[in-house]
Amino acid sequence: MTYYPEPVARLIEALQQLPGIGPKTAQRLTFFLLKRPVEEVRELSESLLAVKDRIVSCRTCFNVTEGDPCRICADPARDARLLCVVEEPNDLLAMERTGEYRGRYHVLLGALSPLDGVGPDDIKVKELLARLEGGETAEVILATNPNVEGEATALYLAKLLRPLGIRITRIARGLPVGGDLEYADQVTLSKALEGRREIG
Amino acid sequence: MALGKSAAVVIGSFPLGESDRVVTFYSRDFGKIRGVAKASRRIRSRFAGALELFTLGEMVFFDTGRSELVRIDHFDVLHPFDRVRRDLERLGQASWIVECVARLTAEHDRHVALYALLVRSLRALEGPVPPARVAVCFGVRALETLGHRPRLDACTVCGRAYPFPRPALGAGGVVCEACAREDAGMVTARPATLAAFEWLRSERWEEALVMPIGRSENEIGAFLDAQVSRLIGQPTRTAKFLRDVRRLEPTSGVSP
Repeated sequence: MTYYPEPVARLIEALQQLPGIGPKTAQRLTFFLLKRPVEEVRELSESLLAVKDRIVSCRTCFNVTEGDPCRICADPARDARLLCVVEEPNDLLAMERTGEYRGRYHVLLGALSPLDGVGPDDIKVKELLARLEGGETAEVILATNPNVEGEATALYLAKLLRPLGIRITRIARGLPVGGDLEYADQVTLSKALEGRREIG
Repeated sequence: MALGKSAAVVIGSFPLGESDRVVTFYSRDFGKIRGVAKASRRIRSRFAGALELFTLGEMVFFDTGRSELVRIDHFDVLHPFDRVRRDLERLGQASWIVECVARLTAEHDRHVALYALLVRSLRALEGPVPPARVAVCFGVRALETLGHRPRLDACTVCGRAYPFPRPALGAGGVVCEACAREDAGMVTARPATLAAFEWLRSERWEEALVMPIGRSENEIGAFLDAQVSRLIGQPTRTAKFLRDVRRLEPTSGVSP
């Protein structure tokens, strides 16, 4: 880093802290920014600051939001009897993009992970239980990722919530739309068979 | 650029960049290998669900020799061990097993006996045997296979020959009452527990899985976890997960 002027070295260091950015990419991004007009770079830096200054976590569902409660929690048209549990705010956005779901959400901000030592106390499980004690929810949809961590979280929550007498469902798993059956692996295909349903 | 091919078990992974993943395998022919599986996090990836934890498959990789990470080209599933993931206790014990393999071994250090023990243990976890017993049987034999077999014939601190009254299990094996007082982190052990440990080590695998050993199983499990934690220099991560999960089911086994 001694070859670079101090501000360049500082930016390279800072960019390297971002996930998925190594020293080479950080260097490339820094020199890209150096070539851009100053207005463009100022806009970028202002956007970064605005995210930190104006975005908070909704105290009800833990989604990222500009106001607390977030627009979904505050919307009276949303079906309060349905609660969809997701791992991260990005998963909530993916669900919203479908336009199919009109219920509310709960963001866990993580998933149980035995190999990383992430337990129920490290994610928003207690907060979910507190929300459900309100008695408004009739169905909890477990929409955690279909990987080991997501499955472990869904299994844990299903066991934890069963005594509350609420309907607990898990999002379906199987073949992606437009996929070819012959290329599906045996795990995906067996999940698709397990979750088959009557047609016509 | 060298092309490698081996049967292997997925023992860990983490995301890399936009859609890649760094996957850790324990392979039959190359030991522990870490590699990049390009685009494996995409929904329509050619790897699909093949790179999930515990999956046994046939791996093909390129080793450029320029990086610690190889490039994973193929991973064809031989057995997904899907039943292990359907129950929290099984999942926790299987995770403890793969954590031991991942953290007690070095990369490219081939160990066919450990590979066979890993696959055998995952198979047993899909069957009717209580998961805690499978983990204990794995732990006892894995320590032996990797050259960390605890000493049970004499106190590991003062060398006093066993048997002696009120033995404990500590760093490296059995400890007498006088030495146990000075050493923190001891696990209490009854003579029956030390006998059970020897028995689990030397008996046929199928018999070791089913022989009743009562509460010795919990004591051995606690010792194994303490021993692995000492070897890796920090507490195992999966033990915490197992404790959390058991709060929901206080009646389930408690080893390791």
